[in-house]
Amino acid sequence: MMKEWFRSGTPWIWLTGGALSISLIAVIGLLAMIAVKGLSYFWPAQVMQFEVEGFVPKQTVIGEVYDSEIVPREQLSAAGYDLSAFNNAEFKRLLIKTGNREYVDLDFRWILTTDIKSQSTPSGLAVIERSKNGYFYGYISAVIKNGETITENNQAVLNSLIERAVALNKQAHKLQSDDIGKINYQLEQLRLTQKGYELDNEFTPARAAEIAKQQKQLYKQSQLLETELFALREQAKRDQVVVTDMRNEQVTLEISEVLAIWFPNDMSVFDKLGHYFMQLGKFVSDDPREANTEGGVFPAIFGTVFMVMLMAVIVTPFGVVAAIYLHEYATKNAFTKMIRIAVINLAGVPSIVYGVFGLGFFVYVLGGSIDQLFYPESSPTPVFGTPGVMWSALTLAILTLPVVIVSTEEGLSRIPSSIRDGSLALGATKIETLWRIVIPMASPAIMTGLILAVARAAGEVAPLMLVGVVKMAPSLPFDGNFPYIHLERKFMHLGFHIYDVGFQSPNVEAARPLVYATAFLLVSVIIALNITAIRIRNRLREKFITLEH
Amino acid sequence: MISIALQQDVAMKLDLNNLTDEQKALQIKNLNLFYGDKQALKDINMSIPKGQVTAFIGPSGCGKSTLLRCINRMNDLVENCKVEGEIFLNAQNIYAKGIDVAALRRNVGMVFQRPNPFPKSIYENVVYGLRLQGIKEKRKLDEVVEHSLRSAALWDEVKDRLHDSAFGLSGGQQQRLVIARSIAIEPEVLLLDEPTSALDPISTLVIEELINDLKNKYTVVIVTHNMQQAARVSDQTAFMHMGELIEYTDTNTLFTTPDKKKTEDYITGRYG
Repeated sequence: MMKEWFRSGTPWIWLTGGALSISLIAVIGLLAMIAVKGLSYFWPAQVMQFEVEGFVPKQTVIGEVYDSEIVPREQLSAAGYDLSAFNNAEFKRLLIKTGNREYVDLDFRWILTTDIKSQSTPSGLAVIERSKNGYFYGYISAVIKNGETITENNQAVLNSLIERAVALNKQAHKLQSDDIGKINYQLEQLRLTQKGYELDNEFTPARAAEIAKQQKQLYKQSQLLETELFALREQAKRDQVVVTDMRNEQVTLEISEVLAIWFPNDMSVFDKLGHYFMQLGKFVSDDPREANTEGGVFPAIFGTVFMVMLMAVIVTPFGVVAAIYLHEYATKNAFTKMIRIAVINLAGVPSIVYGVFGLGFFVYVLGGSIDQLFYPESSPTPVFGTPGVMWSALTLAILTLPVVIVSTEEGLSRIPSSIRDGSLALGATKIETLWRIVIPMASPAIMTGLILAVARAAGEVAPLMLVGVVKMAPSLPFDGNFPYIHLERKFMHLGFHIYDVGFQSPNVEAARPLVYATAFLLVSVIIALNITAIRIRNRLREKFITLEH
Repeated sequence: MISIALQQDVAMKLDLNNLTDEQKALQIKNLNLFYGDKQALKDINMSIPKGQVTAFIGPSGCGKSTLLRCINRMNDLVENCKVEGEIFLNAQNIYAKGIDVAALRRNVGMVFQRPNPFPKSIYENVVYGLRLQGIKEKRKLDEVVEHSLRSAALWDEVKDRLHDSAFGLSGGQQQRLVIARSIAIEPEVLLLDEPTSALDPISTLVIEELINDLKNKYTVVIVTHNMQQAARVSDQTAFMHMGELIEYTDTNTLFTTPDKKKTEDYITGRYG
């Protein structure tokens, strides 16, 4: 009976099906966990008000419930708690995010549920997102508009004041980074020009005068802009808001430091949804603040996509050309076999080794030589002789080269020889046949290689830490200053951002949801890149459908 | 009927061993071919007359396709393949040093067993050879496309979808497209390597009719497995066996009163 069952093949179907289901569950589970944990961060949670007394002195605690856990009695006893009043074997405690960082010792605290005398979600509790020191929780007691105190009906006034301050700050930021940044860039270029002339002994008085004239003009412009900037900042500082915090003390906050204010306990589901998407949008489009634990991740998204695209642009021609030589021109002997095996094995080298190679060869040797040859005036500050986005892209290009070579070769070998013969018989040379027939027909396979390369490169972090990724890049590798694309600049990367926020930040508790959110974003970016590549490949496949039989 | 009979008359009068230079399209002299150590063609000597259809027949592996592929040097692409001897096209030895193989292949077109259209439109397939020569003028290309497709008896079937993919055509149409593609660059000689072996009987018939039309303009050399086909389309036939040219004479004689025993065995079905 059992033997029959085995012979029928049914157990194999169950075994293989089971293995597939487990893989599916693992993938879906992973994505679901990251998505839920990451995306729930932006949902405006209820703000609780607890009256606490017991192991801690009688006080009010206001904040969001972040986490809860069960603690065994022994652990608490060992920690010095006198538990004689209770006979529970286990105690529950809550992690509360209380914010107000500069006024309390800790912005996160554990409270035992046995200490909670009462809890409520009172109306009028405000969450204030600030550009410094994180969130603030409390009741709005007054708004000071231009020195005049308004106590009645102040929510609408407050919102308009915040909008005004945010707009002014934005304007000031734009002025500083775009206009003043541009002038600083031009001044630096002038300094380098002057130094270049000096190095070549061509710094004539005429040139000196010309440079001095331009410098003077730029300084003048810069001063004007700075005056404007200070005026804007001064204007932004006009208003304040007075908040009663959980110690029942009045705290005055500058509205210029407030980014947003909301009252989660008074919000309907639709309000919350609106708020949710607004916060999500800010996360994707803003710069990070507070050592990356708050704000958005836009530079990291930009850096990741920019670097991966740069890598794709480098690796595709290299890989394709190498594969064409290996498959079409090289004679098939033991040596080419060895090369092929070596190429495949390259894919198995740990990525950090590529990082070390990139740092040693690209950054120091190649970059150092470029600096000596083309940027002697910048010395001792390195231009290309320091980690940067170009070296990162090159390092990852080498890392992904084997993938592209292998799949291109596969694509080339799938093209029927009859089609090549057809072209040759019409008087085409080998190279003409390659360009007009073979490479177009192999393009779907090339795209497959590129898809695999992009998937691998976008997820790679370790080698990048050596050749170009930084915690905080002052400017994107792309801006409005000539030559617009600055390949020598350092950049931010989502993968490294996860590591930095999760494990290097001063406030790990505060940053944990950001880790999930960033991880979810990284996965989304990789999926988006892949889907784009797959769509291109499918389009190519449709065009060269013969290959599919 | 009359014209065919006349042509056969002319063919019969040709003395294949003593063709004049004008009558000769190709002359093969002492041709030996080796795949590594194995000799695939043994001392082939023959002259192929201009403007006629010459068929190569013989059992599988007899070297008929190999011989055909020598004429446009497609064997150059095969590894370990060595050719000795000479083939003259217009009094020029195509195996001489310094011969431009691409130019030779422009002069000697070839159609393969399986239809092998390129993954391009019908139009682009036909003009492929012209584009290789750098011809870009649209009017000239259009002209050639129409003329070639008409010559290949395909124009009426595809004139409304010239810019559709060539893969949408049936096998027989694809094979005629490949023929059109070959004659678009106006070769002198057209080599057909079992052009109908992958096609259904009706498509085969169409191609055979086409071959009959083509010989007015081109010298056609056809390799075929099918003796009836050789008898139907060719003016002279060469029978090959084990790399040797056994008998080469006009088709009528070869199929009615063969000289050699081996030929007789083969055409009567006692062999292979």
